[in-house]
Amino acid sequence: MSAVRDMLCDTARAVFAEAACEGLAPVEAAGFGLLLVPENEDGLGGDWGDLNAVLRLAGTLVPDLGVEELMLSGLPEASEAHRAAATVGLMAGAMGQALTLSIEHVNTRQQFGRPLGKFQAVQQSLAAMACEVAAVDAAAAAMAARLDATAFGAAASGFEIAAAKLRANRAAGVVTAVAHQVHGAIGFTREYELHRVTIPLMRWRSAHGNDAYWAGLLGRRVADMGARGLWESMTARAG
Amino acid sequence: MQGFTLFDFDPPGDTIALRADLRAWLSEHQPQGDVVRRANCWASFDPDFSTALGKAGYIGMTLPERYGGGGRHPLERYVVIEELLAAGAPVGAHWIADRQTGPLILRYGSEEQRELYLPGIARGELYACIGLSEPGAGSDLAAVRTSARETADGWRVNGQKIWTTGAHFSHVILALVRTEEGSERNAGLSQLLIDLDTPGITIRPIVDMAGNHDFNEIFFDDVLVPHSALVGERGQGWRQVTAELALERSGPERYLSSHALFAALIDAAGPDPDPALATLIGELTAEMWTLRQLSMSTAAKLAAGEDPMVEASMVKELGNAFEQDMPRRVQAIVDCGWDDESDLARLLRALLIASPSFSLRGGTREVIRGIIARGLGLR
Repeated sequence: MSAVRDMLCDTARAVFAEAACEGLAPVEAAGFGLLLVPENEDGLGGDWGDLNAVLRLAGTLVPDLGVEELMLSGLPEASEAHRAAATVGLMAGAMGQALTLSIEHVNTRQQFGRPLGKFQAVQQSLAAMACEVAAVDAAAAAMAARLDATAFGAAASGFEIAAAKLRANRAAGVVTAVAHQVHGAIGFTREYELHRVTIPLMRWRSAHGNDAYWAGLLGRRVADMGARGLWESMTARAG
Repeated sequence: MQGFTLFDFDPPGDTIALRADLRAWLSEHQPQGDVVRRANCWASFDPDFSTALGKAGYIGMTLPERYGGGGRHPLERYVVIEELLAAGAPVGAHWIADRQTGPLILRYGSEEQRELYLPGIARGELYACIGLSEPGAGSDLAAVRTSARETADGWRVNGQKIWTTGAHFSHVILALVRTEEGSERNAGLSQLLIDLDTPGITIRPIVDMAGNHDFNEIFFDDVLVPHSALVGERGQGWRQVTAELALERSGPERYLSSHALFAALIDAAGPDPDPALATLIGELTAEMWTLRQLSMSTAAKLAAGEDPMVEASMVKELGNAFEQDMPRRVQAIVDCGWDDESDLARLLRALLIASPSFSLRGGTREVIRGIIARGLGLR
């Protein structure tokens, strides 16, 4: 990550901590609505990679606040596809947080005389969950790179947005299930914080295109390209 | 949780030209064999093709030119490998020598070993196999018992290796052996590079459930190999093997083994597929695209000189699940009989039968998940 993005994330962390108590006002005051606005229009001139990094933090710290709408307001025209793309960043953050909480829990909670994390069954589930989180992070980063290469073009990035949102949707099912399973009853309580990320994950899976929507769209597009066309298009875009 | 750090996949040179040249070369030189041979093609043995590929400069690409290699960047090799696999090229003969043995000899081998073996590997003429598993050491690799005792004449090797892919056509085996008497677990192990025509070696085929002869068992009966067969440091075999496995686990072969089936599915669906088929194609596309990003990032991390042990394991775990589930998901949707003779039906049958091995070879799913769990701080 660039030094500028590191600083942006440090600011976002501090602002989101405030926003967790006070609502959207500190986020607006800190100028996050100008993140995607070009510098020559008095914005911050951030790219989608920056947005993704900030949304990942939002998904971790303030999943319910709706900061994504504020940040997308910096686009001349925010489409449903842009909203889907932003949601992928939020989902990556929330999934990372669900994994963090799960690891902490199984390393501290003792049963049968040892931490839950020492049981192979638990280790295997968490490994599968960690793979899903990594997949969503990779998808989000690659999608962001495409959006940045196309001046935030939702149509030009249509393939990547569809693939990333679909992949994130599918991961959400695995991640919420494993996180709750390894937490046991405590994770099902109002008091414990796991639901602060798992309920938003459930909601975001339906938001801005559920699995069937994006899979159908992507599938028809790929069928139209043919197998060779798919490979050529995928390899022409990156690497 | 800190996110998966994505490494930029940024090969030097003109990647577009590299792809275009290789595609043009393949259209002229790739044998127009049966479609089933194009599936799981890194297990497909064709020495003529390997020699031609070597002559064209697509094998040993990352080896230095003084050893007959191409002196290219590892990510340029990545581009070539994914093109070969997507085309279903029969790369099985030289596959292991190119992917693992060559780089390992370059990194740990003596100057004599480099000069002796690397040029043949780069020509696509010298083939290698990996001697890790034994009857008593499968997932538990540290239980290796094959021994090598140092004598005045050289190493005396006794023991047995099993599940050795390609031993029957390979020239050398890179074997993990116990060189320190009385040592246990991962201490006291070393790697020996042994010519397979050395007296005392017996290779027997093991036919797999698909009817193919890919793997073998190898018996070492008081086999005398020269002192110079030791690769790297005596007693450091475990560390060297572990590094080698990162090369084995993260490449594009981990999500392209079933690509021929995916391609046949897309082409059979035509431009206007029914909703269920479109959905399946969409899901598989999203998964493949994501895996490719993970795999490229892991390759870039490896190329940057960092150790991507956990990332490589994640690529293998997700990749194996993807390519193993694909034939099942296709079977659930596509209406074709088991004995149909269409390309799609024959590919489906072949991959349903081959796919149980995908999450066994190169480390079982359970072992791989254990490595990931250790990376998460659970072990």
